[in-house]
Amino acid sequence: MQSVISAARSSTKRSFSTSARRWQAVPQQKPVLIKEFKIYRWNPDEPEKKPELQSYKIDLNQTGPMVLDALIKIKNEMDPTLTFRRSCREGICGSCAMNIDGQNTLACLCRIDRNESKNTKIYPLPHMYIVKDLVPDMTQFYKQYKSIQPWLQNDNPPEKGEFLQSPEDRKKLDGMYECILCACCSTSCPSYWWNQDEYLGPATLMQAYRWIADSRDSHGAERKERLQNEMSLYRCHTIFNCSRTCPKGLNPAAAIAKIKLELAAD
Amino acid sequence: MSSSLVLHSTLPRALTRRVVQRSSIQSRYNTTFNYVPGGPILRGTVNDPTTFPKPSPIHGSYHWAFERLLSAGLVPLTAAAFVTSGSNYPIVDGLLGVSLVMHSHLGFDSIVVDYLHPRKFPILGPITTWTLRVATVATLVGVYQFNTNDIGLTELIAKAWTA
Repeated sequence: MQSVISAARSSTKRSFSTSARRWQAVPQQKPVLIKEFKIYRWNPDEPEKKPELQSYKIDLNQTGPMVLDALIKIKNEMDPTLTFRRSCREGICGSCAMNIDGQNTLACLCRIDRNESKNTKIYPLPHMYIVKDLVPDMTQFYKQYKSIQPWLQNDNPPEKGEFLQSPEDRKKLDGMYECILCACCSTSCPSYWWNQDEYLGPATLMQAYRWIADSRDSHGAERKERLQNEMSLYRCHTIFNCSRTCPKGLNPAAAIAKIKLELAAD
Repeated sequence: MSSSLVLHSTLPRALTRRVVQRSSIQSRYNTTFNYVPGGPILRGTVNDPTTFPKPSPIHGSYHWAFERLLSAGLVPLTAAAFVTSGSNYPIVDGLLGVSLVMHSHLGFDSIVVDYLHPRKFPILGPITTWTLRVATVATLVGVYQFNTNDIGLTELIAKAWTA
């Protein structure tokens, strides 16, 4: 045993699969299932080279079930230059939002289509400035989120203790506070594509309504007044791509409709 | 090819940064803000929140509510035009003519704001807006003339339908 460990240490490759596992039972051999992934590549260090789709073929039976597992496998074993964001691998951080087979979603929540005759195409979020490969520039998105002042504002805090909220009022926030700001909805919205500099987009608007609807917040009127213009809110033409694509199953279109109704009722 | 691409990626950035510095004190829609097609659209530093245009319900909720009520009103109006005849009920005919033209004006205006906004198209945008306004007024005049001097909209459609 000692000699095996020292042999493994002396080899130049750092590997978990060759050392201790050799003494364990042989895993059941699975058939090889080769699937092609076509991934958008663009390198800012070579700006004169146009973006292209690079093809990678991996064995699905040696890969985890999700697209993120495939990406990590490609990065680990085939091409370390492939660049993408990922963090939690369980759909709570929103880092790995990308366009997979034409649908904006989180790579960690998207199962690999196991049909080997069809390739899977992976692009970054549509209509965003690209930093590299699958990494979009989210600066404008975060600046917009900041502009709606996403924090509790109340000039009359309770004398002692915390703000109290009835279960009904708390229920109004369900379906909005779960948003992880992955930008899948905003970047699927054609209005956001054309007018990204002025239109806030579904994700930010749903968060705007999350604070308008909060019974503990007393700045609803100011929040609503900021949206009273042609561009910030009313570029929404109820296309519903946002609700269709949301990887968390939320409904930004409903939140936007409620803002419009509240503004019209004022 | 390569030099133009390099220009494309660096020049607009430098330009907008300078413009942003200058325009941060001045008003929002001033002429010094230069929209660069394909370039970055950031105003201020990455830590500044985006700004909002001046609030105006006329462009916001009133506009939206009017648009929706007009669309909803067109449904019974169209049904009314089906069961009446234009010569006997000129008010219904006139109302239908005006609301149809306004409805399409709002629709086209929405397209212009979406795709040809003056901030991106400083020449083509205003030209299109004014062309649309002139066309709408001309159509309104035409519908008025047609409804007062000729058979009117409803009967025209009825005739065309059976022709």
